[in-house]
Amino acid sequence: MKLTPQEVKIQERLKPGVVTLDGFLGKDKRHYNEIIAEDLEVLKGLAKTKEEIADRLDYLTKKALPYDEDGVVIDEIYDLQYVTARGRIISPFMDRTFWPKGIITLKNLQNGVEIRWTPLSIHLIRRYGFFQGKGATFRTEPSDLIKAIF
Amino acid sequence: MLIIINNVLTFVGLSGVLSTIIVIADYFLANYGDCKIDINGKREITVKGGSSLLTSLAEKDIFVSSACGGRGTCGLCKVKGIDGCGPLLPTEKPYMSPKELEEGIRLSCQVKVKRDLKIEIPESIFSIRKYKSVVTAIEDYTYDIKRIEFKLIEPNEITFKAGQYVQLESKRYGKVRQPVMRAYSVSSNPSHTDYIELIIRKVPEGIMTTFTHDHLKEKDEISFTGPFGDFYIRDTGTDMFFVAGGSGMAPFKGMLEELNEKKSKRRIVFFFGARTTKDLFLLEEMKKFEEEMHDFKFIPILSHPEPNDGWDGLTGYIPPYFEEHLRDPKNTEGYLCGNPGLLNASEKRMRELGIEDIYYDSFG
Repeated sequence: MKLTPQEVKIQERLKPGVVTLDGFLGKDKRHYNEIIAEDLEVLKGLAKTKEEIADRLDYLTKKALPYDEDGVVIDEIYDLQYVTARGRIISPFMDRTFWPKGIITLKNLQNGVEIRWTPLSIHLIRRYGFFQGKGATFRTEPSDLIKAIF
Repeated sequence: MLIIINNVLTFVGLSGVLSTIIVIADYFLANYGDCKIDINGKREITVKGGSSLLTSLAEKDIFVSSACGGRGTCGLCKVKGIDGCGPLLPTEKPYMSPKELEEGIRLSCQVKVKRDLKIEIPESIFSIRKYKSVVTAIEDYTYDIKRIEFKLIEPNEITFKAGQYVQLESKRYGKVRQPVMRAYSVSSNPSHTDYIELIIRKVPEGIMTTFTHDHLKEKDEISFTGPFGDFYIRDTGTDMFFVAGGSGMAPFKGMLEELNEKKSKRRIVFFFGARTTKDLFLLEEMKKFEEEMHDFKFIPILSHPEPNDGWDGLTGYIPPYFEEHLRDPKNTEGYLCGNPGLLNASEKRMRELGIEDIYYDSFG
């Protein structure tokens, strides 16, 4: 696969130690374009779009934010906690966007599925369909994500 | 088809070669000579042209805040360009609000000094320096919060206001190939000018906090820049409400040490939020402040005390407790440091109670 210089740079920025300590690729050896393509194909089968998922994560994030680490149960289903750190993190996709440093954890009290994400994760899903590489710290399989938040 | 592909490749190749030649020629041949930078109409420095404004200022010991080291990715190094800064670059525009665009604000890392310039920067920037220091103490406050003490080497003294922050610079370690800079509030008393201490909480996946918690050792040399920020106590004599959670304790510790030393007569109530008793720290120090200071009360509030904590103090959220400790809202200032959720809720409640003067150091 022929890559543009921009794509080469982004792939480098997704590696450990550049934007985050462990990076966004996990143990996945594939190029991020392949990861995105495969996940978007999976989404088609699950009848959800990346925008619908991002909107839902965004909704839950905003609900969790006022309660910080104290946590809150939303809609009697979603047990949420938002851990914040000082500062903002830059998008590894070189789109010049910055995102709050936070980790949101969710437990679906109906089916027991637990996931976690960051404000940056929402951006990467919405704009690029990038759910991160297999084994990455903040990757959740799209199927598990849908089970947890819808 | 082959001809088209061939032409496109030739064009792309030629463009690339020409761009490279221009960059190399600019680097080696362009001679902008000495350029004068007029700062705030009060101070003039002379620098060798050709470097970025950020670098040129730093060479003259004028440190504009930057978290990315001038790579154009953090958007922090803003200055007001009055004259000679050239047109706004596409690399700057995404970081500017409409008001900043109107006012001529520029990213100093993106402005190249090619001629005489006129700029405006906050006067406080003149007191910012880059410091070399050595780690003299590392102490665990909780399972994820450490106190780290940095003895100054060069310069060997610092002047700051309690509540201000510095930007600590990491070193390369493990998978991290480039140093990063992160902001931390100074938690020591400003009257101790030969060292600073920071209170740092470990952030999962955090490049800097993993460095400070897992790699930094006593006797290591480390650099920081500062002081920055306008979160400091206003000298008004009013009552004060302090509100913090977790490592948001840092600026208040420095403020309290200074107020105690100066025998302040101000009435202070410090609301500190934590999940469980495992997240509480500096309790002995707070008790000491309560004993020694004129009118200081420390109120820890746990949101999730565990049954075996033996906690018989306050529980729940912080804001509902403001009212019972408020004497006169018009004569009370709020000082808030911590997570956006806590700060937003605290500010909302304070305003409902009639407190107007509220100052923040938000993590978000």
